[in-house]
Amino acid sequence: MENAVHKNDTFYEKELKLKSKKKSETTSTIVINALIAIFALIWIIPIVWLFVTAFSKYRGIDTAHFFPAQGWTLDNFKTVLFEPDSVVQYVAWFKNTFIIALFSCLISTAFVLMVSYTFSCMRFKGRQSMMKFSIILNMFPGVLSMIAIYFVMKQIGLTNSHLGMVIVYSAGSGLGYLICKGFMDTIPTSIREAARLDGASEFEIFFKIILPLSKPIIVYTVISSFLAPWADFVFAKLMLNSGISSDWTVAIGLYNMLGKDLKSHYFSVFCAGGLLISIPISILFILMQKYYVEGVTGGASKG
Amino acid sequence: MKMRKFVALAAVASMLIGSLAGCASGAAEETAGGAAAGDDAIQNLINATTGTVSLTVWASEEDQAYTQGLIDQFIAAYPDVSFDIQLGSESESTCRDTVLTDIEAAADVFAFADDQIQALVDAGALQPISAYYTYDVAAENVAGAVDAATVDGQLYAYPMTADNGYFMFYDSSVFTEEDVQSLDSMIAAAEAAGTKIGMDLSSGWYLYSFFAGAGLEVSLNDDGVTNTCTWNAAGGTDVAQAIIDYFGTGVLVNMTDDEQATAIANGEISACVNGTWRAETAEEAWGENYAAAKLPTYSLAGTQTQMSSFSGCKLIGVNAYSDNIGWAMLLAEFLTNEQAQIGRFNERGLGPSNIAASASPEVQANPAIAALAAQADYATPQRVGGNYWAPSQTLGEILASGNPDGADLQTLLDTAVEGIEAPVA
Amino acid sequence: MASNKEVHASSAGEAFVNFFKGIKAYFTDFGTAISKGDTAVKLSTVLMGAGYFARNKIVVGLLTMIYEVLFVLMCIFYAAPNLAKFGTLGTTVRSTAFDPVTMQNTVIQGDNSFLILLNSVIALFMIFVFVLTWIHNIKRQYELQLDKEKGNHINTFVEDVKSLVNGRFNITLMTLPTLGVVLMNVIPILILIAIAFTNYDQQHMPPSSLFTWVGLTNFRNLVNLSNNSAFGYAFFRVLGWTLVWAFFSTFTCFLGGIVMAKLITYRKVKFPKFWRTLFVVTIAVPQFVTLLLVRYFFGDTGIVNSICASTGITSFLQSIGLVANHLTYIPFLTHPGWAKFMIVMINIWVGVPYQMLVATGVLLNIPESQIESAKLDGANAWQIFWHITMPYVMFVEGPTLITDFVRNINNFNVIYLLTQDTFVTTNQTLANANAKEVDLLVTWLFRLTNEYYNYKMASVIGIIVFVICAVFSLIAFSKFLSGGREESYQ
Repeated sequence: MENAVHKNDTFYEKELKLKSKKKSETTSTIVINALIAIFALIWIIPIVWLFVTAFSKYRGIDTAHFFPAQGWTLDNFKTVLFEPDSVVQYVAWFKNTFIIALFSCLISTAFVLMVSYTFSCMRFKGRQSMMKFSIILNMFPGVLSMIAIYFVMKQIGLTNSHLGMVIVYSAGSGLGYLICKGFMDTIPTSIREAARLDGASEFEIFFKIILPLSKPIIVYTVISSFLAPWADFVFAKLMLNSGISSDWTVAIGLYNMLGKDLKSHYFSVFCAGGLLISIPISILFILMQKYYVEGVTGGASKG
Repeated sequence: MKMRKFVALAAVASMLIGSLAGCASGAAEETAGGAAAGDDAIQNLINATTGTVSLTVWASEEDQAYTQGLIDQFIAAYPDVSFDIQLGSESESTCRDTVLTDIEAAADVFAFADDQIQALVDAGALQPISAYYTYDVAAENVAGAVDAATVDGQLYAYPMTADNGYFMFYDSSVFTEEDVQSLDSMIAAAEAAGTKIGMDLSSGWYLYSFFAGAGLEVSLNDDGVTNTCTWNAAGGTDVAQAIIDYFGTGVLVNMTDDEQATAIANGEISACVNGTWRAETAEEAWGENYAAAKLPTYSLAGTQTQMSSFSGCKLIGVNAYSDNIGWAMLLAEFLTNEQAQIGRFNERGLGPSNIAASASPEVQANPAIAALAAQADYATPQRVGGNYWAPSQTLGEILASGNPDGADLQTLLDTAVEGIEAPVA
Repeated sequence: MASNKEVHASSAGEAFVNFFKGIKAYFTDFGTAISKGDTAVKLSTVLMGAGYFARNKIVVGLLTMIYEVLFVLMCIFYAAPNLAKFGTLGTTVRSTAFDPVTMQNTVIQGDNSFLILLNSVIALFMIFVFVLTWIHNIKRQYELQLDKEKGNHINTFVEDVKSLVNGRFNITLMTLPTLGVVLMNVIPILILIAIAFTNYDQQHMPPSSLFTWVGLTNFRNLVNLSNNSAFGYAFFRVLGWTLVWAFFSTFTCFLGGIVMAKLITYRKVKFPKFWRTLFVVTIAVPQFVTLLLVRYFFGDTGIVNSICASTGITSFLQSIGLVANHLTYIPFLTHPGWAKFMIVMINIWVGVPYQMLVATGVLLNIPESQIESAKLDGANAWQIFWHITMPYVMFVEGPTLITDFVRNINNFNVIYLLTQDTFVTTNQTLANANAKEVDLLVTWLFRLTNEYYNYKMASVIGIIVFVICAVFSLIAFSKFLSGGREESYQ
């Protein structure tokens, strides 16, 4: 990022020498900073609303005031963390989601890397058609195949189980290989050729050469697959249908709080819960930002 | 073997006739006979039960604590049997959706709102209540609730509450008891006080009140899926015009239940057409002035016409695919008997469907439940097929927004009726 | 690498021809193997391991035999009973009789059409896979025979296993992911394609009722524009908006991302890292939380409306005719036009930070020299942006753009979370088909299954969505991702 600023520096400096009007420079600095501040404000307002409502004494939806009109409190967080009832089982949900997310993220990442390596670094009969076929398959709306997946899982006896959820989130992940493969395509073939001449097997090339070079894309894959279970409320609701709320994931639990009968009592609790999951995810994101960008652009640029 | 089957079938048939007769005429002898057979049957069941009886119960989130208490009592009532009863939460309003997705995975005993009964029966999800054991379901509950639990003359569920209909909440510092008799005087009073009246007209459930009040009907056909609707018959356009006029005043406002909750709390509206679930909000906001009444009359082509409504109750059903039908039925009876309903009123303020329970002075003194009782004379159980909702919702939206496209009212009604009556694609 | 004879199809027609050539070659090889194979090869058409035994590959032979036995057992105990009912999808309806004295149901078990369909599809799929392996097996046997005749080295079992981490490593790597995809994607899709040809709806719902095959009736209902078919009308309306939405949502976010990235990296901007982090935070909050919040934010009686009313924006919009006069609020998410506009705007809110991250990375890689030379030619900043920056970004991000487009066709979350329970259509014909103006095909079919149990129509719509998406992604694939380009970077 620093680089970008410097590159632009030299360019704009020259340009400015031509114009060299200090006055207009300060105005444009103000204008452009103000502009970005306005954008930032627009983007951050709903988050701020989430934040302040989480501290609201009024538990329903206050659609008339931005800041809590009835005063501030930490009770919503207390409910979420320490006072589980039949509606709020946040700690259990967090644990469930974390376990599901962890395992499905491990499997997904492994699958994506395996498929990407195969498609990117190996040449075999039917490779092109397999790639096309998987891209098309990946386009099928998951919402529709949901009910069929449910009954397939039921036949195996994996509904209402977290193992089943892990399978649902990760089994088909191999199809999402595109970006990762794009990244691996950018790794020069010569490195692999050299290793092969040294007598390395494909297995060794995969583990000892390609994987260490793919760090950004691995981070990218890990983050995206880890995040999926936190946000999915449709599949999880269908699969975990016993009604026992302590088996749920965070997303079903929170979504449930906005049901017709509950939202006037649980809206601010919902906000508190939403805020609590956002914090770890935000930190994860900010820390991994660099890899994330490298991964996704590396993949995208050489698609 | 064949003989035994025949006997069983004969017994079913006789019970069926019994419950039919009980339902239609409340014949005491028939029903008493059934109950007497009940004690033996329970003993049979206890004797036949080996191992742990596993049951799952679904009740709404708000009902969890109370239901768990009842389940514990139930377990204590049968000390010889070992139970494993799981309580899950499933909103009564969405129960149908979850049950129909996979009936076999649904709870053995579940609570649902009565509008879902037709769909549940069609899907074969409900065990017919062809016999009762601990109390007479058909005789001890109010007729409206029993009707709501009955499909084609067969009882399919146990009434749990009888308060799922709607009526008028109001702030008595703004409206007098006189005012709430008619919508016109209510609007005048509200205008004078500078407040508004809320009603969710973008919902077939509430829109029904105007049309049914004028004698225009919508009802379910014998196939159990499609509807017959007479809203576009003579007089239909008058109703539509009346609605447009009322909502055109800007005093009667179309707002969803959520919005009404906020609007009550912040004083924007001082009356609303809503149900018992809003009682708490209204009581909190209006305090001593909190009051409720039956729906008012409205002015239809010059004559005052009483608004009608859907009555509603919450029911408990037994899953026809339950492995422990007998115990599931006993538990369902236990969750809905007089004691349970009295307790439910005391703990949660829900209006009982049980005749004896609803006769208690405490219940009678509750404004919301009294208003429901007054509205009961003008209410009909909600029996409509799935195609009713989307078109009526749209019609309500158009009328409440004053027919913005200026469409011909008759055409508007014709299209809506066409949608409501449309065969299921 | 052993086989480098990969075919690069440059055009669709060529791909088509190649496809059939491939199939022809496949069966020609098979015919040769059968006719020219020795006794062992011929015997392996029945006893699949025979050829291996003849070449002293005992372990592989045994494994193959076990595979065959398992398949036969599967056929007898799983495939046969289900496939027997596949033609009718079941004939017996479940019935029960309750005995009030014993309090038990006497149940006559019925057929479950859905399970018959599901199991049959799985069984047919397994049979299909078996046939493929069976053909492959015979060809392999013939290859072994030729190898032996020529005196070539025949791999021992240990060598076979070793090749799985080297020459045939792709098989090792692909097995599990493929199994997963078969389970999660292929089987469900096959089932849904089958459902499109049945009458599976609310009146025919297993396990209590049966459904059966109805041929092309559902497809006819959908495209039938005459005799007041609400479905046909709704389908074309919804399809239209789906494509419009996909276009706008993709391009607004894409452009927004670039502009935002440019803005933040602009020299005069103070604290770029702070701003970027701020935007990144909005990605981190789960969509269903932010979108639901925003829905209440823009509700008819929501905060934005309160503010707009008190600041006079509402009445200004009324005076210029953007808000109907009978309203006291701005119908952000309740009027079709406003809702569509707002959904696109809110989607910008959701999508731009992510695109900004991507664009920041891409902009870093723009070749400096090009910009320099353009500058020497007297181009201004704006011209450089349009003639150098954008083409480069388009080149790099083109493939993702098309993936995004397809993903937006299926963008369930944004539309569902913003409009479910709040948007009411005023178009009666749409309402009659349970559709709304703001529905995408996916949200429509989700509502059809979840609220109306109309699985047959949902499947038909699903297939059509699938075809549309497949076409777009195939174009994307052959334009941006086909072989030539792929190699050029390595």
